[in-house]
Amino acid sequence: MGALALVAAAIVFGLGALGAGIGNGLIVGRTVEGISRQPELRGTLQTTMFIGVALVEALPIITLVLAFIFYGQA
Amino acid sequence: MHASPIIKLGGLSIDLSAVIMLTVTCVIVFVLARLAVRNLSVENPSKLQNFLEWVVEFVHNIVASAMDMRKGKPYISLGLTLILFIFVANLLGLPFAIVTDLPADTKVFGVVLEPTKDLAPGEHSDVLWWKSPTADASVTMALALMVIVLTHYMGITRNTKGYFKHYIEPYVPFLPLNLIKEFAKLLSLGLRLYGNIYAGEVMIAVILGLSAWGIPALVVWQGFSVFVGAIQSFVFVMLTMVYMSQTLVHEEHH
Repeated sequence: MGALALVAAAIVFGLGALGAGIGNGLIVGRTVEGISRQPELRGTLQTTMFIGVALVEALPIITLVLAFIFYGQA
Repeated sequence: MHASPIIKLGGLSIDLSAVIMLTVTCVIVFVLARLAVRNLSVENPSKLQNFLEWVVEFVHNIVASAMDMRKGKPYISLGLTLILFIFVANLLGLPFAIVTDLPADTKVFGVVLEPTKDLAPGEHSDVLWWKSPTADASVTMALALMVIVLTHYMGITRNTKGYFKHYIEPYVPFLPLNLIKEFAKLLSLGLRLYGNIYAGEVMIAVILGLSAWGIPALVVWQGFSVFVGAIQSFVFVMLTMVYMSQTLVHEEHH
C-alpha cells in the first residue's frame, strides 16, 4: 500500500502536469499570435490569457493536492 | 506536515486556525476600507483612497464585461468584498507561519485539541495556528457554496421562467448534464482557489527545508505566490459574475 500510494501520486501529478503544459502552451501561443495581429488589443488579450490560464490550471492544481494526499499516506 | 488545531464541539469539528485567520482577514479588510474612506476628497485624494477607487473601477469592469450594467450594478459591492477578502486571505500565509509544539491532551476552552489526543506523555505534536484561511478546503468551498447558492437564489427570484427553462436547454435530454454542470461549477470554483493557495504553502515548506540554499528560491516563490494570490482572487470574482449573468439573463435563445 505504501509503495502503490507513491506510484499513484506520481501518475496523477505527471498526467496533470502534462495537461497543464499543453493547455497553457496553446493558450499563450494563441495570445501571442493575437497580439502580433493586433498590437492595440494587447491589454485585453493579456487579461483574457490570465483568466484562461487560471481556468485551465484548476484541474492540474487539484491533482497536485491529490498527490500530496497520496504522498502523505505512503 | 503540521496538524490543525481541531476541537470537537457538540458533534462538529471546528478548526481553530481557520476561525482565527478568517477573523484576522476580516479585521484587516475592514481597517483598510475604513482608513481609505476617512477624509474623502475629490480634488486631492489620499493614496489609499486612490487605490480603492482603482479597485472599485476594476470590479466595475469585471461586472460590465459579464452582464449589462443595469442588471449588474448591485453586484459591484459583492465583487468588491470578494476580491478584497480573497486577496488579503491569500496573502496572509506568505510572510510567516506560527507553529506550536503542544504536549499530550492540551486543552483550549476546556476542550482537548484533536492532534494532541492520543500522544504518549513525552511526545509533542506540531500544530499550525497561522496560515492562509484559503489554504483550507472548508473555507474555499464555503465561499464557493455561498456564491453558487446566491446565483441560484437570484435566478429563481429575478428570472424564474428563464432559470427553470435553462435546465432543459437546448434539448430536454440535456437535463442531467445541466445538473452536473451546477455541481462542477461549485467544485471547481472552490477547489481551484484551495489547490492554488495550499500548493503554494506546501512549496514554501519544501523550499524552507533547503535552509540557507533556498533563500533565492524562496524570494522568487514568494513573489510568484503574491501574483498567484491576486490572479486567483480576480478569477474567482470574474467567474462569480459570469455565473450570475448566466442565471439572470437567459432570454436569448441560442
